[in-house]
Amino acid sequence: MNLAIELKGIEKNYPGVVANHDVDIQIHKGDIHAIIGENGAGKSTLMKILYGMVKPDSGSITINGELASIKSPQDSIGLGIGMVHQHFMLADNATVLENIVLGSEPIKAKVVVDYAAARAKIEKIISTYGLDIHVDDLVSDLGVGERQRVEIAKVLFRGAEILILDEPTAVLVPQEVDDLFKNLKELTQNGLTIIFISHKLDEVMTIADNITVMRHGTTVAEVKPANTNKKQLAEYMIGGELPSPRLASTKPREEKVLEVKDATAKDRTGREILHGINLDIHAGEILGLAGVEGNGQSELIELIMGLVKPDSGSVVTVGLDTKEADLRKIRDEGVGYIPQDRQRDGLLMAAPLWENRILGHQETAPMSNGMWINKGAAKSDSERIIKEFDVRTPSNDVLANALSGGNQQKFIVGREMSGDPKMIIAAQPTRGVDVGAQAIIWDHLIEARLKGTGVLLVSADLDELFKLSDRIAVIFRGSIVDYLDPRTTTPEQLGLAMTGEKIA
Amino acid sequence: MSTLKENRLWRIITSPSRMMLTVAGVVILVSVVRQFTGISDITSPGAAGATIRFTIPLLMAGLGGLWAERSGVINIGLEGMMILGTWFGAWFGYLYGPWVGIFAGAVGGALAGLLHAILTVRVGIDQAVSGLAINLLGAGTARFLSGVFFIGAGGDVNVSPQVKSISSFTVPGLSPFLTSLGQKHILVISDVAGVVAGFITSINWASLVMILALPLTSWILWKTRFGLRMRFCGENPSAAESLGVNVYRTRYIALAVSGALAGLGGAYISVVVTGNYLEGQTAGRGYIGLAAVIFGNWQPAGVLAGAALFGLTDALRVRQSTSVHALLLVVIVLAAVYSLTKLRKKDWKGFGINLGIAVFVLAYYMINKVVPDEFVTFFPNLTTILVLAFLSQKLRPPAMAGAPYRKGEES
Repeated sequence: MNLAIELKGIEKNYPGVVANHDVDIQIHKGDIHAIIGENGAGKSTLMKILYGMVKPDSGSITINGELASIKSPQDSIGLGIGMVHQHFMLADNATVLENIVLGSEPIKAKVVVDYAAARAKIEKIISTYGLDIHVDDLVSDLGVGERQRVEIAKVLFRGAEILILDEPTAVLVPQEVDDLFKNLKELTQNGLTIIFISHKLDEVMTIADNITVMRHGTTVAEVKPANTNKKQLAEYMIGGELPSPRLASTKPREEKVLEVKDATAKDRTGREILHGINLDIHAGEILGLAGVEGNGQSELIELIMGLVKPDSGSVVTVGLDTKEADLRKIRDEGVGYIPQDRQRDGLLMAAPLWENRILGHQETAPMSNGMWINKGAAKSDSERIIKEFDVRTPSNDVLANALSGGNQQKFIVGREMSGDPKMIIAAQPTRGVDVGAQAIIWDHLIEARLKGTGVLLVSADLDELFKLSDRIAVIFRGSIVDYLDPRTTTPEQLGLAMTGEKIA
Repeated sequence: MSTLKENRLWRIITSPSRMMLTVAGVVILVSVVRQFTGISDITSPGAAGATIRFTIPLLMAGLGGLWAERSGVINIGLEGMMILGTWFGAWFGYLYGPWVGIFAGAVGGALAGLLHAILTVRVGIDQAVSGLAINLLGAGTARFLSGVFFIGAGGDVNVSPQVKSISSFTVPGLSPFLTSLGQKHILVISDVAGVVAGFITSINWASLVMILALPLTSWILWKTRFGLRMRFCGENPSAAESLGVNVYRTRYIALAVSGALAGLGGAYISVVVTGNYLEGQTAGRGYIGLAAVIFGNWQPAGVLAGAALFGLTDALRVRQSTSVHALLLVVIVLAAVYSLTKLRKKDWKGFGINLGIAVFVLAYYMINKVVPDEFVTFFPNLTTILVLAFLSQKLRPPAMAGAPYRKGEES
């Protein structure tokens, strides 16, 4: 047995919370070892312990057969452990080369950075592992996938042999995920060991050699993908049977909540970015919008919300022509919006939940009372959301940034659905949340549909699109290129359509 | 995607060959204007020399601002640091000679820089508030110290005794030759000769030493380990910290240097330009230095360009105000040419705006004989506002300059 890492009886307590207990994991050299679990199952704490950011209360860590004492990230780097953070630690206004060497610069003449030596070493890493990045590019010019490869190169540059990847696919689109997996295979073939933290069961089944499941701070199962299936993994994760969403077949109503006719739109530089869009959503219908990110989805949302006015054609949102009505009016008429970047666009992170409940409803009853904010109503309605959407928080006075990502998202969904809106725009509503939160969000979207709300579901998750949508529209380079029926289309066909291929 | 394009554009605009062409075009244009208006002072050696004297304090303040902002801290306190530089420069220059004075000016500025570091980095005070406090403190301290030290030494509460001057040098042979060539009024040749003559005639040794700060800053920022780490402290301090960079210490050093540079700029004014301390003699040059940082897109060479442009208008105003009036012709032609390039790209709005500017300035030029001094003083502020308004998409300030940073907290 050739073990890269062995964790035994790891325990970590925070005041009032047991973050980790009785954690036992064995990770073989050259493996991709997945650690899965719901948000709050203790994965992150465990990785912080391994990376030296948190000290365990008890338990032992053995690296390459030797008992290790890890007190700081520097210690763990010294032992050949590298961390690829979920939120990239890169400077935009600097080159790839500079980002990689920072902190471990090769030096000549005492103070001068030996960029030539660094470049040679990085080029070697890039070619050995097929990372496909260019050292002289500015990071601000890079896409998400490339940035991630820079992070990986950064860790390899420091001589890491064990890589921890914290939810690496949360920010990637399907093609980028494939590229990442190719890179990871390349790394393990060269003898490196990878710890892959995730809650996406599909990916774990595809990539992992071994899977450890965590629940409530402890390890509950260790399985190989060949001996298990997604359903079983999900049950390990949540400790029970999963409710499976199913669309009750109802007939969408006649009335339309959205009518986009031949609309074109330009971006700030005057380039046409949406071309001849035709899109209708009926009340009581979920329209899925599939497409690789950056093909005009965000612009389309802005167009529908009235933030961007169409250059030609027309957009009528919940009965209002966006050329005349402004965003405020459209929102008040009954449009809910679940933004893609919840921390940036969806919440005031440093404000309590009840204040966040008011956000977007600050001018309408019951959240406002003339020029005054109705604090009581905001608090009691926050309580309703916390209950109905199972938001795990001690109270509605807690700051938004104290909640985990999944719970933040549930709160946003709850807020945007309050007051029974006529239409909901949901952009990546379950990205980066655990299966439990996902099920709750899905249930509520389906319920809203039954109540007669029209939903625009913008998603990169094909599974989600198939499960929830009545129809799927495919957007590609600013045009709607196809409408598909989820009951008769296969994921492969949809994937093909997203790349602009016409389905015969 | 759009940032990618803009970056390329920016790189092309700032590429050396393009810069050379632009410079050559402007030289020819200025030369023609000089010939046409008959105001020969625009390109005289005297004007060039004065431009250097007005540019250096702005350049030093600008480089000071650059050091601070590149490390992630906005330094509005440059003005106060400059004031301390003028005072320390004059007093220690009077006591121990001009070079000691200049060194003391740097120390005075550096102390204020360290104070700014303690307040913003350690205590966590808002950077603008701390900077303003330092400006008030600088002016007040100088006034107080003047009262204590100058009165007994032959100065007054707002004037110091005279400092011995630092010697100058002139390149022999070449300088007289170019000066006489400059007086012949030959198109372009005389103009270039006149300006170059100004750069090599009676140049103060202190000017030369100070200009060295520019290449030194570039070298430190882009070649050394400290420079790399300092830039990351301004771009993404959490990332820098996660890789073992001591952000606090780096910012302390950067702010001390920032203050020292501003102090040098101040000492240059009191020791070299006027030969004594006069209350209020910095006249807001610390703020203009910050404007030069923005104008120069946070690049050392850009800061020089900004400082030189603002220094030039300042120098011409002081020497002969009709010169500034003549330079309006340059603005008119530049705006007209620029509007034509917009026309070619079918950018009607840009065409209209630039043509409008050209016509407006032309009308102003025809109606008036001089540009009011107040406007010239206001010129750097106006330029900075215009740069911010029209080029902000292309500016690349350090991403985290001005943002509070606490160790261990993710921003």
